[in-house]
Amino acid sequence: MLGNGSVGLAGGTDLVPLLRDGIVRADTLVDLSRGVPRGVADGRIGAGATLAELEVDPQVPDALREACRLAASPQLRAMGTIGGNLRQATRCWYWRLKYPCYLHGGDRCHAREGEHREHAIFGNERCASAHPSDVAAALIALRSRARTTRRELAVEELYRLPTDDDRDVVALAADELIVELEVPTPRASVYLKAMDRQRWAFPLVGVAAARFEDGVSLALAGVAPIPWPLAGAADLEAATPLPGTAYKVEIARALVARALAAVGA
Amino acid sequence: MARLIKTEKEVEGRYTEQWVVVEEDVLDQWPAGARRVVGRPATRVDGLQRARGEARYTADVQLPGMLHTAVLRSPHGRARVKRLDVGRAMQAPGVRGVLTPRELAARDAADWPGEPSVGPHASEVLTCEPGYAGAPVAAVGAETFGQALAALSLVRVDWEILEPLLDGDQAVRRGSLLGEPRRYERGDLDRGLAEADLVVEAKYRTQVVLHNALETHQSVCRWEGDTLEVYTSTQWIWGVRREVAEALGIPADRVRVVCEYMGGGFGAKNDAGDHTFIAAELARRTGRPVRCALTRRDENRATGNRNATIQRLVAGARSDGTLTALGGEFVNAVGYDGFSPFTSGPMQLLYGCPNVRTVDYGAQLNTPPNAAFRAPGFVEGTFGLECLLDELAARLDVDPLELRRRNHADHDASDERPFSSKRLMECYRRAETHWARRAEVRARSEAPWRRGVGLASQVWYGGGGPPSYAWVRVGPDGRAAVITAMQDIGTGSRTAMAQIAAEELGLPLDRVDVALGDSARGPYASISAGSSTIPSMGPAVRSAAADAARQIVEIAAQRYDREERVLSLRDGHVVSTDGGSWPLEEIAGLLGDGQILGKGARGPNPAGMRVLTFGVQVAEVAVDVETGEVRVERLAAIHDVGRVINPLGARSQVEGGIIQALGHTLSEQRLLDPLTGDVLTQTLDAYKLPTIADVPEIVVEFVDQPDTHLTNLGAKGLGEPPIVPTAAAIANAIRNATGADVRSLPVSREEMLRALRETRGRAEEPVGASTA
Repeated sequence: MLGNGSVGLAGGTDLVPLLRDGIVRADTLVDLSRGVPRGVADGRIGAGATLAELEVDPQVPDALREACRLAASPQLRAMGTIGGNLRQATRCWYWRLKYPCYLHGGDRCHAREGEHREHAIFGNERCASAHPSDVAAALIALRSRARTTRRELAVEELYRLPTDDDRDVVALAADELIVELEVPTPRASVYLKAMDRQRWAFPLVGVAAARFEDGVSLALAGVAPIPWPLAGAADLEAATPLPGTAYKVEIARALVARALAAVGA
Repeated sequence: MARLIKTEKEVEGRYTEQWVVVEEDVLDQWPAGARRVVGRPATRVDGLQRARGEARYTADVQLPGMLHTAVLRSPHGRARVKRLDVGRAMQAPGVRGVLTPRELAARDAADWPGEPSVGPHASEVLTCEPGYAGAPVAAVGAETFGQALAALSLVRVDWEILEPLLDGDQAVRRGSLLGEPRRYERGDLDRGLAEADLVVEAKYRTQVVLHNALETHQSVCRWEGDTLEVYTSTQWIWGVRREVAEALGIPADRVRVVCEYMGGGFGAKNDAGDHTFIAAELARRTGRPVRCALTRRDENRATGNRNATIQRLVAGARSDGTLTALGGEFVNAVGYDGFSPFTSGPMQLLYGCPNVRTVDYGAQLNTPPNAAFRAPGFVEGTFGLECLLDELAARLDVDPLELRRRNHADHDASDERPFSSKRLMECYRRAETHWARRAEVRARSEAPWRRGVGLASQVWYGGGGPPSYAWVRVGPDGRAAVITAMQDIGTGSRTAMAQIAAEELGLPLDRVDVALGDSARGPYASISAGSSTIPSMGPAVRSAAADAARQIVEIAAQRYDREERVLSLRDGHVVSTDGGSWPLEEIAGLLGDGQILGKGARGPNPAGMRVLTFGVQVAEVAVDVETGEVRVERLAAIHDVGRVINPLGARSQVEGGIIQALGHTLSEQRLLDPLTGDVLTQTLDAYKLPTIADVPEIVVEFVDQPDTHLTNLGAKGLGEPPIVPTAAAIANAIRNATGADVRSLPVSREEMLRALRETRGRAEEPVGASTA
């Protein structure tokens, strides 16, 4: 049903602006509200659950609840779904303003040479955009898996850096839909977020940490074209910041240390 | 009697000398303190209409057959249009008119064999040689906005792209200036520096911020016979009327300008604007009403901004904190067009320093033109000056509040003129309780958060001036109406005018209506800019109400056979000292359907005096020294604006000013692509205004003493003062909390972390290294 000009519409908080700006084209919008589950039960979250539902649900692990709570505004969280959140596009202003950049299929990243204070410190060689999803980082740290209409895979595997052959950062087929998320219960988890104002801003740096029996998982938001898993604090020293994003490394160091302390690592 | 005088007229710190006709103001001021209506908190008289959605803003104006406009804007900071092909756009569905630059219209018309009524037609505001990204190049009018946008995408432009000039310092070096540099000196700066025990120098930068009024710039134009109706979101009905009449070459009385409700302007809506001329021209060409409403994106590219500044400042003082010298070079990065604000103003006016030298440069750049933005120049100049003073105080180990008292200006040191009133010392006295929280606030620091308190003083204009007129009509129902063609730009002027008339007429507030916002209904009124609406319009309204009251008393004296001197107006009655009391309805009712009409005018400003507003703000902040997060936790604002008409409305002005200042200080910045010069932060997700979660506790106090020299009210304006000192107060609190000197706005994460790194670097230097 999806693909070939048909695009699935859930909350529409990102899709509608993208359609209006002509960045996404669709002949048909397919209403997903009745096709995609939205409840929370036994560690499973329907992809149609809104962020507003998840931020108050005691069954949801702390990191994810907090990532939902710190995302967007109450109005947007009431509309936006967790499945849609995982598929939202970058806030890179060059990409949003339709500069012919690498991510749009062009041959250079305008942000690298241009204005890039909100941009990437990892994986930014070809495209310096930053992935905006707080929720994705939380799910990855929580070692979550996604069930799609075709398969099951780790949330981390939903993303890949853009390449010369494929500029899409989401590794899903055009007709593939996230249906459900399986979120393990950690011993402790946390999500910390640095942003330009107290509410309604995408992460400059978001840090999710979760402690399981066999160790701690970490993932970062807002620091790479895709959500960025981190093996440990030492990995931050491998960052490749641009002149205008060096400060993000400093913030990430502080927040990773706090997150590790918070989960008792 | 009308009197012709030559007077200095000031708007937003810009003075021009002009002839005005003023009428003598014979009314004595009311005694200080709250009156029956004036000086008491009043909720907005139009609150219900606004809340119910009944208030008609320009954005709500829908006229039958109205066309919608989309404007093609240059994506390049500097370019030439080699070829503009609007052929396909003109054939697109719903298109009824196309405008192209005057230079191109004739040529394109020859290429285009289509219907002449469709266009293309020439427009003076469109350009073939855009000097900034966002400059309007072509416009399409269509049945729907969607159709206009679709047609716009069919316009083909061949550009010759030229290299834009984007850096203010570079522009000054190349001599790319708007106007001559403004130089000022009193005393001798070099001598003052030589006399100093300590000299501090610092460079400050402020960023470009965008007004982002809730209602974007928009106008709806409709021709009714030979009269053009202009519904527009404006701060000056009469200015639009004149500009449009001049542009169209028609008598001013054939232009009717309407602005009943207005969704904010903050200085960016002082002029008619390109959108008004585009709508007027398309309306003339098509014979249809035409709306030209800017999208948020266009709003943030092309309707003005607070320009960036670079300030190189020096201050010298004796060891006790007495200033001996202040010097500043101020570069205003104005943009392609606009004006060079008086950024050196605070340095000249705030302190009684004998030796001051300043120069302001207005750099012309290939960036969008600036526009006045709530105390233009003074917000930026106060940030530099008041931060420099705190750096000086820290080095001298003098209390910052004491330093400011010691250098208090008792008169305007630039020309020896006395102030009409100045109660800054009283503001400082009231600031003491907030300032005294310093130790307690700092003690609440808990790693990684450091807390501190800072303050900054405020000086700005706000005296208003003539000419401004009002009428007050009293009918047989015992109600009064204030009629004047002024505008309420969202500040609550309607309510304040109603209070003033109610006070003078002895009526309860709910028996006074205010009819404003229409040039065809009421006399001339002044601009709502430069904190001037209350001090310009308020005295005119009082004088009109007093004229009506005088007539009521005259009629009552004859009807009830009393002497006029024993009669007065109270609680909707004419009362006599002998106990007689007659309802106003009874007296006005004598006239049948006739009415009593009072007329009033704003009198002259006090001769030979400087009228200014003053204040001080005290900020409390918390800084996360590891992540650079700055939270403002409390702001106390104490302002001296003469008499306060509506304490509730005044409080909301101060809160609004402080919240806008918070954005300027911490999160807002317009970013440009360094190659094209185009605005990257066009939408409200990218351009970060403060949210309600960012707003701290705000404590507001007013000295509330009438300026006995200024008008029959003694009231000054308050629109701008509260935004002036906030950034410096916050920056000084950050220094108090962390020891770090933030010298660049906004204090984003990166600026805060940079300043903290610099401080750590200083601390680690070996002793004596700094004097090497």
